[in-house]
Amino acid sequence: MSPLDSTIRDAATAQPTIGRPKDYLHEKSTLASWFFTIDHKRIALLYLASITGFFVIGAFAAGLIRLALVVPNGQIFSNDTYNKLFTIHGVVMVWFYMIPSIPTTLGNFLIPLMIGAKDLAFPKLNLTSWYIFMGGSLFTLFTVLVGGVDTGWTFYAPFSTTFSNTWVIPALIGVIIVGFSSILTGLNFVVTIHTMRAPGMTWFRMPIFVWTHYAVSLIFLLATPVITIALSLLVLERGFGIGVFDPALGGDPVLFEHLFWFYSHPAVYIMVLPGMGVISEIVPAFSQKKLFGYRFIAYASISLASLTFFVWGHHMFVNGQSEMASISFSVLSFAVAVPSAVKVYNWTATIYRGSLRLDTPMLYAMGYIGLFVIGGLTGLFLATLSIDEHVHDTYFVVAHFHYIMVGGTVLAFLGGLHFWWPKMTGRMYNEAWGRVGALLIFLGFNVTFFPQFLLGYLGMPRRYHQYPPEFQLLNILSSAGSTILAVGYFFPMIYLVWSLWFGKRASANPWEAKGLEWSTSSPPPTHNFLAEPVVDFEPYDYPIKARERV
Amino acid sequence: MSEFLVRRFGMAEDDAAVFWQHMRTPARSFVMLLCLLGITVLCGATLPVHWIWMIEALSTLCMVVIVLVISMEVTHEPPLIRLFAVVGFFWVCILFGMTLVDYLFR
Amino acid sequence: MSAVGVSPVGVELREQFNNTAQQRHAATMGMFIWLITELLLFAGLFLVALILRITHPASVTAAAKHFKFWIGATNTAILICSSLTMSGAIELSRLGWQRGMVRFMLATASLGSLFIVLKGYEYVVDWQEHMVPFFLDRSYALAGDSASELFVNLYFATTGLHGLHLITGVSILLVLTRQAAAPGYLQRHQNRIEIYGLYWHFIDLIWIIVFPILYVLNR
Repeated sequence: MSPLDSTIRDAATAQPTIGRPKDYLHEKSTLASWFFTIDHKRIALLYLASITGFFVIGAFAAGLIRLALVVPNGQIFSNDTYNKLFTIHGVVMVWFYMIPSIPTTLGNFLIPLMIGAKDLAFPKLNLTSWYIFMGGSLFTLFTVLVGGVDTGWTFYAPFSTTFSNTWVIPALIGVIIVGFSSILTGLNFVVTIHTMRAPGMTWFRMPIFVWTHYAVSLIFLLATPVITIALSLLVLERGFGIGVFDPALGGDPVLFEHLFWFYSHPAVYIMVLPGMGVISEIVPAFSQKKLFGYRFIAYASISLASLTFFVWGHHMFVNGQSEMASISFSVLSFAVAVPSAVKVYNWTATIYRGSLRLDTPMLYAMGYIGLFVIGGLTGLFLATLSIDEHVHDTYFVVAHFHYIMVGGTVLAFLGGLHFWWPKMTGRMYNEAWGRVGALLIFLGFNVTFFPQFLLGYLGMPRRYHQYPPEFQLLNILSSAGSTILAVGYFFPMIYLVWSLWFGKRASANPWEAKGLEWSTSSPPPTHNFLAEPVVDFEPYDYPIKARERV
Repeated sequence: MSEFLVRRFGMAEDDAAVFWQHMRTPARSFVMLLCLLGITVLCGATLPVHWIWMIEALSTLCMVVIVLVISMEVTHEPPLIRLFAVVGFFWVCILFGMTLVDYLFR
Repeated sequence: MSAVGVSPVGVELREQFNNTAQQRHAATMGMFIWLITELLLFAGLFLVALILRITHPASVTAAAKHFKFWIGATNTAILICSSLTMSGAIELSRLGWQRGMVRFMLATASLGSLFIVLKGYEYVVDWQEHMVPFFLDRSYALAGDSASELFVNLYFATTGLHGLHLITGVSILLVLTRQAAAPGYLQRHQNRIEIYGLYWHFIDLIWIIVFPILYVLNR
């Protein structure tokens, strides 16, 4: 622990326990006060507990997939079991962990704090959306565990409507229900950010975290209804024969794919954008330097949220869409690289000549930047028509999106969780354990997924549980990496829970970070601030300015 | 019109005047919507020329605009909400436009 | 009846807001955003209609000729009338004329119910005329033209979803009317009438688009 750390931590003990105003955690402690709370901070913790549960289930399924792929002949699980396993992994991770992860936990907790509001605009709606989420997700979970579904998370017609013999309809209904929870969360965020900002909190004084959540909410609102209707049409077609995609009648299943990816490509940015917001908070705090190019990052967030609606066809290059469509979607997909790169350069420029502290959140942030660059660049390969023809539906694609989703979202989520943990719980976690955990996750992740780039480039298709023996070495390497990754995940689960009881008490601002959320006590009182804050400072007002030489 | 209200419903003259003053705009939009519906129905029922769908589409568009602007009072809202109303339709255009790039060039 | 039955108009402040102007603004905005999601929900169906018209123009026309054009037109007119009565209810709520407002709300609910009844009748006629291809044990009127089934299916999906919105809308309206008839309601929750009105106008707007897309164009 560096000397800087200890001076910061010691400040924490200076705050007396007796005489503190009651915080949101200790205001009431009955079970009902949690399950019927309308406090955004408590709802965030409800979400945190639920999505962690789903993460564990999804990760367990992933572990079984990697176990099955240790041998090339597919002896460990049957075909059907393997199909069900990757569907569980995909459905649970995408719909019930990745999409809600950062917005519903960190976003829910922090947006009112960051803009100086007492709560979200519609607190009861916020609680309702948690209940909708739990209802839909537990129902789907029951379906995929008990009945099993073998369509993958994409539910492509006509397999899902006509040929699959598994519990597709209940799974679809569950996913549709969870969609409403996303919509309500997005609606709440947009209205809150527009109407509830404290005096002086202008748009360009909002932290980037709020900007990215605004962008994500727009995607929630504009994309989710389209998948709701697309999946509902699947339910009608499979359940009642009221079909519009049925190729036997002359219908076009590709139309379903258009509707599906109109949501599901932007959904990638639902997963990535909040992570970008988290990184934009962590990097300046641990460099003690003003965020480089604040306005560019803000604009880049909004332009990512808009551009992402123009590129869905790059999932369909080999699915029979017209050549003109493929070329247009390919060109537009390249354009998305521009705002993404803007962000990466800005973070890097912020770190440059900053006063760096490599604490756990910063380790996660650095990992994020590196892995996001790899994931993003391989995305450009895939946006290129001729290369995609070669690697479509191979492990290259799997590796690419895991670099974005795990290397991006999961690392950002963990980084953000560590960064705001003192604010959320009022306790510090053990820094040494945190660093070891972060390094193990980074290492395990790369050992798991880098070999998959090679496998995919050599031609190993995804979703198969048998493969030619020459691929075995790389597959074993990947499976070995996944065990390191699993051990890495155990670290935060243990020491974070431990810190709830035994961690040192945190001061209001343990990282010397800037932003309204650090000006209130840790944990904050029920209405966040004892008096309504007035904002008269610029965002990221850190001691080191961008142009200064140190 | 307010005399009608007084005679038919026995409203006090002041009240009838106030009421009619408030209802004038909704009533106008009502009449316009019915006229436009009439045009659409007439075109659909007679089908005089093959490009008549353009007129029908135009009349529908006008109806949508009237409901949005007059009935839903979008013009009375702050610019932000007006922007949202436009954004919604713009996103529908993205969905249609990009999908048509596929189907029109098959 | 000047001043008789006029109640004060206002909004009760909730604790997360600082003033009622902010609260009203937030509530209106929330409803507009919800309606945008509804628009995109229906846009998916409109897109399917458009693509079917591009890929199978003749079959779509054949199917559309079987839809009940005049019932559809009548229903459109009914919804336009209900929009007028809803506007009336909103104007009266602003004036604080509670009794008149309740009557206009009930009129709106009745017009909505009339729409649902006519729609139900239309489904019955569809059944009688063998226009229900998804009932496999019932012969289909256009049996030789399988692509026309797609458009008929879309017709049922679209009108069904719209009908669902209307049934929900009428139910909420009846509950709201009951609450709004209580003394002092307008003083506490006047803006709920306006927000509900937005939803009602929007159901009308969706039907105004559905009617030409399914029934009128190139019939």
